[in-house]
Amino acid sequence: MDTVLRVEDLHKSYPSRWGRPPRVALRGLELEVPRGGVVGLLGPNGAGKTTTLKAVMGLVRPDRGRISLFGSQGSDPRARSRVGFLPEQPYFELYLTPRKILRYYGRLSGMSEESIKARSAHLLNLVGLGEVGDLTMEKFSKGMLQRVGLAQALLAEPELLILDEPSTGLDPLGKIEVRDLLNDLRRSGVTVLLSSHQLSEIEEICDRVAVISEGRNVASGALDELLRSRDEFLVRLAAPPPAGREPDLPPPAAWADDRTGVVVPREALGTVLRRLLDAGLEVEGVGPRRMSLEEFFLERVGRSGGDGK
Amino acid sequence: MKRFASDLLTVAWGVVQDALHRKVFYAVLAFTAILILLVPMLPSAEVGVQLDLAREAALGLVSIMAFVLAVILASTILPGEMGKRTIYNALSRPVSRKRYFLGKYLGILAVLAASLLVAYGVVLALVGVKFGVFSPGLAKALLAIFLEGALLAAVAMLASVHLSPVVCVLLTGLFYVVCHVKGDFLYRTMTDPGHPAVLRGLAGLFYYLLPNLERLNINETVAHGERVFRVGAPELLLLLGLAAAFAAVFLSLGAFLLERKDL
Repeated sequence: MDTVLRVEDLHKSYPSRWGRPPRVALRGLELEVPRGGVVGLLGPNGAGKTTTLKAVMGLVRPDRGRISLFGSQGSDPRARSRVGFLPEQPYFELYLTPRKILRYYGRLSGMSEESIKARSAHLLNLVGLGEVGDLTMEKFSKGMLQRVGLAQALLAEPELLILDEPSTGLDPLGKIEVRDLLNDLRRSGVTVLLSSHQLSEIEEICDRVAVISEGRNVASGALDELLRSRDEFLVRLAAPPPAGREPDLPPPAAWADDRTGVVVPREALGTVLRRLLDAGLEVEGVGPRRMSLEEFFLERVGRSGGDGK
Repeated sequence: MKRFASDLLTVAWGVVQDALHRKVFYAVLAFTAILILLVPMLPSAEVGVQLDLAREAALGLVSIMAFVLAVILASTILPGEMGKRTIYNALSRPVSRKRYFLGKYLGILAVLAASLLVAYGVVLALVGVKFGVFSPGLAKALLAIFLEGALLAAVAMLASVHLSPVVCVLLTGLFYVVCHVKGDFLYRTMTDPGHPAVLRGLAGLFYYLLPNLERLNINETVAHGERVFRVGAPELLLLLGLAAAFAAVFLSLGAFLLERKDL
């Protein structure tokens, strides 16, 4: 597997003032982002997501550990030439126009004037700011600034796109547009690493996830594999049972919401199958139940949510 | 090398644009220009030295303007970018922090140079219209003011990596005062056996560590037509070397600290 980003044993703590103990943000974090696809970095507030992304971008200095970006040391600025980054709640000099700010970042990325011009026009249209590309950003909403942020992240045609909470400040339509954009990028071969605490966003977009809590990995891998329960099965029926003819199920087996399936713990699978068949119901298939990401997250992180404390 | 220059110019141009959008920049320039134009209204000294006094007062005002601009810009640019987090967008590009830091400094120098050119024009106009004299030699004093402003900007930028703008301005002000009195006050303290050894040691440390900014103050000499002491190319080169050497030390230290700072 071709890996574009590898983070090994990353530790980071921030000093506190007045003799208080340092705040530990990362405690041996491991992360691997294979080429292609969308990887979600998931965790509660204060879990260390932003610190991880900032360390990858060279914005904070890890206490120890190793970051390899396209095979180079992460702190090497040249490695960043293949990366686009959207910080959390991006902000810009508001007296500038989106087109001017893209020109500034394009120059810093080493792009030629022609390609900056062409890319800016394309990206401003892509993020829905084509009409206001030459207006100063003083009256821009949070969502519009987020769109400018997306455009600047995509400016230099990055191979790896790192997005910190990309949907923050966006309205529902904007969120859908971001999701579609990320799907387009995935199809064009761009690797995306996005951090979010919005489970639905991660579940809809990502192929793989890394769940972190209190600065450590709690789970990582392909989303489908992670969400496949090892202890529960879903028995799928060809049709829901007629009203009043449902067989009794041994607890904690339970009917699925649409009543075309039964969620069964491993130890009760045989009993439930027999009762369904005895009741004359047609069993279409049996397989491991796919948990929702929320269930998985709560199972791994717990309801306390970590909060880095 | 081309990329290096391009990055520096891009960052520096950003600083110029930023300065041009600050009201304080225009306010300081306009206030200085007005004060310079009011210089002839000062109580006159004896006839014959009016011109010299007017030139000296004008250069004094230009010095204050230059130092205020340099220190305000240098104290606020980095903390502003860090506070608003606009620095993330820039430093996530393939640009090293050292290059970024140096680019910001060059931008401040560009703003300072442009402001001094404007001030030079105003002083020349005043002297020309009021006294009918063309004084291109004042450019030497303006160069020295520029060098001192550049040195103060380097100090303020070093301080601004970790400190708030207000503290940077205060520290740079303290630096300015200490470096102007060092030749006199620090030297006397250092050499006076009547002072405690610790005080003499501290005075000596600062005396040898800090630049003597009085050497960069040639306003009086130039304003009075260099009649006593002529400021030639060797003297100007010496001043340039002094300012460049100390600015390089402060900038290197600032870049080193920024490199290690968590943003």
